[in-house]
Amino acid sequence: MECRKEIKDGVVVLVVGGAIDHESAAAFEQAVIPSLDEAETAGTGVVFDLSDVDYMSSVGLRVLMLAAKAAKQKSITVVVAGLQPTLAEIFQISRFDKIFTIYDDADAAVAGVRG
Amino acid sequence: MQVRFWGTRGSLPVAMTADRVRGKIVQALQAARGKNLDDDRAIADFVDQDLDFSIAGTYGGASSCVEIDFGGDAFVVCDMGSGLREFGLDSMRRIGQGEKKGDYSFFMSHPHWDHIMGFPFFTPAFIPGNSLKIVGGHDIEFALRRQQDNPSFPVPLDWMKASREFVTLTDGQVLETGGFTVTIRKQPHHGDSYGYRFEKDGKVVVYTTDAEHKLDDFEDFEAHIDFLRDADLVIFDTMYSMADAISVKEDWGHSSNIVAVDMCHQAGAKHLAMFHHEPVFDDAMILQNHNETNRYEELVRPGETALKVSCAYDGLVVTL
Repeated sequence: MECRKEIKDGVVVLVVGGAIDHESAAAFEQAVIPSLDEAETAGTGVVFDLSDVDYMSSVGLRVLMLAAKAAKQKSITVVVAGLQPTLAEIFQISRFDKIFTIYDDADAAVAGVRG
Repeated sequence: MQVRFWGTRGSLPVAMTADRVRGKIVQALQAARGKNLDDDRAIADFVDQDLDFSIAGTYGGASSCVEIDFGGDAFVVCDMGSGLREFGLDSMRRIGQGEKKGDYSFFMSHPHWDHIMGFPFFTPAFIPGNSLKIVGGHDIEFALRRQQDNPSFPVPLDWMKASREFVTLTDGQVLETGGFTVTIRKQPHHGDSYGYRFEKDGKVVVYTTDAEHKLDDFEDFEAHIDFLRDADLVIFDTMYSMADAISVKEDWGHSSNIVAVDMCHQAGAKHLAMFHHEPVFDDAMILQNHNETNRYEELVRPGETALKVSCAYDGLVVTL
């Protein structure tokens, strides 16, 4: 699992790649937490660019849910972008597509967060 | 070894309504358009092969009750939900045919209402000479007695003339019955619940319902995967979607199809039976849930061996 942070138009973009499973979920969570604080300070939001994620099990989904809950408390926006077909199906089956706004790519997501 | 599902619904029994029966008939007739159904065999084949189970059948509405038939003289049953009434009548038929004796062992997940509500209507409990052994991690006698006390029910527990023995086990205890071995595991649920791992002649069946396995409780997660290890059949609480289970229905005490598949994969289990269906769901929604769970299993399968995924229904029989 890789998780790299970028800032686009003041929005925190987490570019995630690889597999997020039982082995890597804790590292993923640790990478996400400071980005939420940073987005709160900036008054913007966080984009999860998942275009290079080829696998995400339930523990990875849980990290996204924690981020969504924290974002609500911080009054910031968290969205996801670039779901590959497999991940898009996992979002649909787990009903995460009802929780997250999903964009085709990171640029569209940044524009969406900026409003 | 055979596993028979007498009640598969979670939380509350549900009944088929006239509107829903009508809807199934309409859908069946629509699907029959243009087909040659002139003889009875063709009709039966059409129903069995062409119609979805949600149209041709129903998942049923009785609450949790599962029989595990180890082939001996005695009956072994997990939980006493409303499915227990039908099981009781069928067990008497089998006793009458000389297949079994009137000895019943119950393994109770917990005493929440939907898991004990069938007992007042369990006819064999009224018959002198029958024997009931009731195993659990809770004080099940208290729960059964209170359920039948005034003003909740007109027939108190002591009117039931079969002999009763209550056995309380603790987490991790192993019970050797002679016919099979069973291990009990405490599970996360309001007031706790207990899962059972049954083993006989190299076959393993795990009954694990009413448990909310939180994804950040690594200790529970790993321990439960060990509990499911190499099971031939895992009967698992898949009541909610993953999103619901960790958001609006967090701490409601149940798990999801996603967690069930992930755990079974990691445990090397062979067959998952989705169980404890949400009472709000109609047959079409449960079928959709089953199809999606099969697809998820395919998407995240760690090797080449598929985990078989069944969706339990009242009347399903699984032979191991």
